[in-house]
Amino acid sequence: MAVDPHGSYHFHTGRPLARHLGYDETVVARMPESAIEAFAGVGNPFSQGALRPGERGVDLGSGGGFDCFVAAEQVGTEGQVVSVDMTEEMLQRSRSAASAMGLGNFEFRRGVIEDLPVEDGWADVVISNGVINLCADKLRVFNEIMRVLRRGGRLQFADIATGKALPEAAICYIDLWTD
Amino acid sequence: MLEQGGFVEIQIGSPVDTFGGAGGESKARLFEVYGYAFAAHKPISGS
Repeated sequence: MAVDPHGSYHFHTGRPLARHLGYDETVVARMPESAIEAFAGVGNPFSQGALRPGERGVDLGSGGGFDCFVAAEQVGTEGQVVSVDMTEEMLQRSRSAASAMGLGNFEFRRGVIEDLPVEDGWADVVISNGVINLCADKLRVFNEIMRVLRRGGRLQFADIATGKALPEAAICYIDLWTD
Repeated sequence: MLEQGGFVEIQIGSPVDTFGGAGGESKARLFEVYGYAFAAHKPISGS
């Protein structure tokens, strides 16, 4: 997705997906195309409530920066968003888009969400979209989210869930999860 | 698993047909895969 956002994938991407998931089109309209075209979320974490002005947020697996930019608009200039992604290609894409938008209330950090490069109790809110399902050790991820949240802080994330048990062969077929 | 991680006040939104019309739709249908928005809080008390 980072290097070929217009390739053929088994999931929706980009602006049509954002519209389908109910994102605020006025916010999306202010983003550079490079951020929108790499969007591959599976839901809308902001449907559980907008972030509040002045809050500090962490975006797990920020990709091209789409959800980070939505969060940055919501927390405003008094707030701050830290976006974490493990791939340099996505970080380059999101940094470039951030520069084009002229927003200064966020920071991109390279890292994995099982070992977040964020201080204990720093965040008011943690967001994520379609990333936690990709982690083999989900409990470790949730423990790490708990570590970086302040007391009373919240987690808002979108992800996929199955209504039926997956066969072992599907669970072990890595291409299904990493395309 | 959220409860296991210590989260409270867990909320799950309505299912979204994330894969509808995409290349992976048939497999998503087979296993009833949908997107959901979750919310949960870190307790005010405790560590």
